[in-house]
Amino acid sequence: MSLWCWLWPRGDRRILAAYLVLIVFSLALLWSVTEPLTGPYAKMRVDVPKAIFWRQVVWVVLAWIAIGVVSRFSLNDLENVSWPAYLGVCALLVAVLGLGPEVAGARRWLVLGNLRLQPSEFAKVAMVILMASWLGRRAEDGSRMTATLGSLVLALVPAILVLREPDLGTSLVFLAIWLGMIFWYGISGLLLLTAISSAASAVIMFYSDRILEQPWPWAVYLLATMGVLYLVRAGLAASGLVLGANIGAGLGIPLVWSRLQPYQQERILSFFEPSKNEYGTAYQAIQSKVAIGSGGLFGTHYLQGTQKGLAFLPERHSDFIFSVAGEELGLLGAGTMLVVFGLLVLRAIDVATEVRRPFASLLAVGIASYFTFHVVVNVSITTGLLPVTGLPLPLISYGGSNLLTSSLMVGLLLNLSVHRYDD
Amino acid sequence: MDFRQARIFRGRIFRLIALLLFGILLVNLLVLTVFQHEYYSDRALENRQVRFRVPAPRGRITDRAGVPLADNTFHSDITVAASHLRDGEPDSVLAQLMRWFDLPEAETIAGLEQQRPRRGGRLVLVRGADLGKLTAVEERRSSLPGVQVESRWRRRYLHGELMAHVIGYTGEVSPDELRDADPDLDYRQGDSIGRQGVEAAFETRLRGRSGVKLEEINATGRIVGRESVWLRPVVPGRDVALTLALPLQTAMDSLMDGRRGCGVALAVPSGEVLAAVSKPSFDANLLTAAISPQRWQELRDDPAKPFFNRIVQATYPPASLYKAVTSLAGLRRGVVDTSSVLEPCPGGYQFGNRWFRCWKRDGHGVLDHAGALAHSCDVFYYQLGLRLELADLESAARAFGLGERVAGIYPGEARGNIPTDEWYDRRLGSGQWTRGVMLNNAIGQGEILTTPLQMALLAARLAAPGEVPGPTFVLGQQPAVPAEELPFDPAHLDWIRRALRQVVDAGTGGAARLAGVSVAGKTGTAENPHGEDHAWFMCFAPAEDPEVAVAVILENAGHGGAEAAPIAGAWLNEFFRWRGRPDGAERSLP
Repeated sequence: MSLWCWLWPRGDRRILAAYLVLIVFSLALLWSVTEPLTGPYAKMRVDVPKAIFWRQVVWVVLAWIAIGVVSRFSLNDLENVSWPAYLGVCALLVAVLGLGPEVAGARRWLVLGNLRLQPSEFAKVAMVILMASWLGRRAEDGSRMTATLGSLVLALVPAILVLREPDLGTSLVFLAIWLGMIFWYGISGLLLLTAISSAASAVIMFYSDRILEQPWPWAVYLLATMGVLYLVRAGLAASGLVLGANIGAGLGIPLVWSRLQPYQQERILSFFEPSKNEYGTAYQAIQSKVAIGSGGLFGTHYLQGTQKGLAFLPERHSDFIFSVAGEELGLLGAGTMLVVFGLLVLRAIDVATEVRRPFASLLAVGIASYFTFHVVVNVSITTGLLPVTGLPLPLISYGGSNLLTSSLMVGLLLNLSVHRYDD
Repeated sequence: MDFRQARIFRGRIFRLIALLLFGILLVNLLVLTVFQHEYYSDRALENRQVRFRVPAPRGRITDRAGVPLADNTFHSDITVAASHLRDGEPDSVLAQLMRWFDLPEAETIAGLEQQRPRRGGRLVLVRGADLGKLTAVEERRSSLPGVQVESRWRRRYLHGELMAHVIGYTGEVSPDELRDADPDLDYRQGDSIGRQGVEAAFETRLRGRSGVKLEEINATGRIVGRESVWLRPVVPGRDVALTLALPLQTAMDSLMDGRRGCGVALAVPSGEVLAAVSKPSFDANLLTAAISPQRWQELRDDPAKPFFNRIVQATYPPASLYKAVTSLAGLRRGVVDTSSVLEPCPGGYQFGNRWFRCWKRDGHGVLDHAGALAHSCDVFYYQLGLRLELADLESAARAFGLGERVAGIYPGEARGNIPTDEWYDRRLGSGQWTRGVMLNNAIGQGEILTTPLQMALLAARLAAPGEVPGPTFVLGQQPAVPAEELPFDPAHLDWIRRALRQVVDAGTGGAARLAGVSVAGKTGTAENPHGEDHAWFMCFAPAEDPEVAVAVILENAGHGGAEAAPIAGAWLNEFFRWRGRPDGAERSLP
C-alpha cells in the first residue's frame, strides 16, 4: 500500500467531504482573523497574531494523519483500549487540577514545552468509546439498570473533574453525550420525561427565583406538569416520581446557584438581562450579534468585517469564530457551515442505524451527540440564544486539542462506515 | 433483533431532534442577518464611528491698536474611556496610570466619577499634561487601550494683572451654566466660558462655534480611520478690540503701583475708555487653569480685595467733585449767579444746633462763586445747598449719568446713589430727617455714592457738554447710555469749565498742572467713617478743547489735591506724549 493510500482515509465520502469543507472554512476564517482590516483604515497591529493560523495548519496536518490512522483501527482493538484510554484521560484531568497553570482563574491546560493540551477534549473521545463499549456489551441482555447507572457514572467522573477546573460548558458536553447514547441504548419514556421535565423545572425555578423574584411561573409550570400527567393517565407511582423529581430539581436550583463561581452567575444573569451591563459579560454576546446581524445575507466581504477587524468582537479566533463567519460571509457562508454540520450529524445517525454491532452503533450516536451539542450550543451562544459559556465550535475554532478530538471523532465515524456490515 | 429494530425508530427521533435544533439555528440566523440586519448594521457603525467635537479657538482680545492682550494656547489632556472606571473601581490600565503619575487615588476617582458623562464619553484624567506625561503615554500607546491625548485651547492673558478687571477671565463652564445655557451655544463639559468683564459680556462674539468631526475607532477607542469627515467646520471666535491703549493702561497702572484705588480715563467726546485701572489687581491667568484652593482663598480673603472691580463696582462719596454739579444746579435754579458772593467762611457753618466744618479749619474768608469752587470752600456750598431742593441736585446729577449703570457690560456694576426726598423718607422715615441733609449733599458727602467710572464720565461731560455717551470698553460697542444735551445754560457750562481750569491753575488742583497743556479739574476728599479719607481728582485736558477726561481715586490716601491730582497730571503727560502734543489739526486718537 502506497503512502498516498495511507494518507487518504477510507470510509464514507460524504463524511470526508463535510470534514474537508469545514476545515477549509476554519483556515479561511483564521486567516481573516489574523489579517489586518482592509478598507479605509490606517495600518494597525492585529491583536490575534498570524502564528495562530500557522499553528492551526500544523494541527490540521496532525489531525489528518490521526484520521488516517483511526479510520483503519479494528473495532476490537478499539474496545480493547477503551478502559486504559478512559483511565488515562481521567488521570490527566486530575493532573490538570494540580499541575495546570492558572489562566484567568481556571486550570484547563497541561503544558509540555511549547505544547498546550486540553485533556478535557481528549476525555470526550475516551468517554464516548468506553461508554459505547459499556452499553454495547449490555445491549442484548437484560442488565438495563447496570448499563444506565454505570454509564452515568462513566459520564459523571470526567464531568465533575472538568467542572472543578472550572469549565461548565465542557462538563455539560459529557452529560449531553451520555443523554444521547442512553437514549439510543433504550431508556423508558418515564425516565426520559422525568429527566427532561426536571431540567425544565430547574430553569423555570431559576427564572422565577432570580430574575422575576416571584414564585408564580414555577407554580404554573408545576400545575401544567400535573395536567399533562393526568391527560396521559400516568399511574400514581409514575406521577409521584415525575413530580418529586420536578420539585426536587426546582428546590435544588438555589442550592446549585450558590455553589457557582461569581463569573458564572454573572454570565447567566447577563443572559437574561443583557441591557443591565452593556460593558460586562453581555458585551460579548451583544458584539457577537452585532457582527452576525451586520453581515446580512452576503456578509461585509472577506477580510472587511469591522466588528472583527476593529476588535469589537471578543474571542474571535476561538469561541466566537462563528460570528466572524456571519459578519464576513453572511447568512450564505455561516448558513452553509451550519448545513454542512447538519449533514455530518445526519450522516452519523445513518451510520448508527446501519451499522450492525451495538458498540459501533452507540459509538456513532455518541459522535453525533458530540457534534450536535457542540455546534448547537456554540452557535446559540454566538447568536444570543444561550448565555455565554466557553465552548469551541468543533473543527472551526482555533485550538489543537479540540481539532484533534473532533478529527478523531470524524475518523472513528469513517472507520464505522467502512465496517458497517461487520458483526 | 430487539436493539437493531428499536434503532430505526430512535434514529427517526434523533434525526428529528437534530433537524429541529439546526432548523432553529438557521431560522435564528435568518432573523439576525435579514430581518434585523439594518438594526445591527447601525450598531456596528455606532461601534466604530465617533463624533469628535473640535473646540473653536476663542477670539483674541486686543487693545485699540491691535496689540494682543488675550490669546489662546494649545494644551493637552490625558483622557480615558469611561469604561475604565466601573462602579468606582479603576481597571488595571487606569490604576497603572494613577501610579505612574502619582495621582492620589481616592480624589482622582471621585473627580472622574463626577465627570462621568453619557455612554461612550471620555474622562479627563490629567488636565494640561506636561511633556513628560504625554511622552509616557505616547510611548506605551499599545499597552494603554482606551487612553488618549486630547488637545484643547486655553486662554492666556499676556498682561494678566494689568487688564484683569477690564477683560475679566474665563473659567470652565459649571454644571449650572451647562443646564441654563442656550442650547444653540453648544456648551459642553470642559468648555471655557467668559466669567467677568469683556470676556463675559462679549461671550457670544468671542466663543465661535465648535466643529464636529467623524472618526473611526477600534474597540480600544483609538482612532484608526485613515481620514476624518467634517460634519461641521470649526468657526473660530471673533476678535474683540478694546478701546483701551496698552501704553496708557500701563502708565496708569505704574502710577498707581502699590496704591489702593482706581484710575479711569475717557476719550472726549467719544466716551471710549483709554485706561481703567483697579488696584490691587490679580493675575487672570490664575483663574483659567485650575487654581489651588489655598491660593484662591488667599486672594478672596485679602483685605485689599483684589477681585473687586473698583472701576464699576466700588462706590464712594464724590465729595468736592460734586461741587461742580451743585454749582450748575444752583445756577439753573437761579439761586446764585456766576459772580455771587455768599456769607464769608469762618471755617464752618452753624445749622440748627450743629456746626458744619469747612475742610479748611481757619476758613476761606470772602469768596465769589468761582473762588469757592477753585478753593473748594464747603461753607459756600452749605449755603448754596440750603437754597436748593434735593430734586434740583438729583436732576443735575442724573444729567451726568450719576446714579446709573453707565458701562452696562459689567454684571456687578453699581448704580451708586443719588438721594431724593423719597429715598430719605424710605431710609429714615418721613419727617425723621431735616434740611440738614442738603448741606452734606451739596458737598457730595453723606449718602451720595458714585463709581470712579461715573466720575470720569462727569469730567468728560463737563468737558464736552452734550457730546459724550456712556463709556465704552470695546471699539464699536453700543454705549449703555446715549449722549444727551445737558439741561444747563451753555453760558453756565462755559463758566464752570473756566472755573475748573482755575482749580488747577490757581486752586487745590495745582498738582495736575502740565507744561504746555491747560488742564481743568476738581479735587475731592471723601470722608470715610472707617478710616483715612479717600483722595479724589477728576480733570479734562486740554481745557479749551478737551480730548481726554480722567478720574482718579486713592483709598485712604487723604487729600485729593495732594495725592490723586499728581497721578492724573502724570498720566495726562503720558497721554499727550502718546498722542502727540495737540496742535489743533490732529483730532483723532491713535
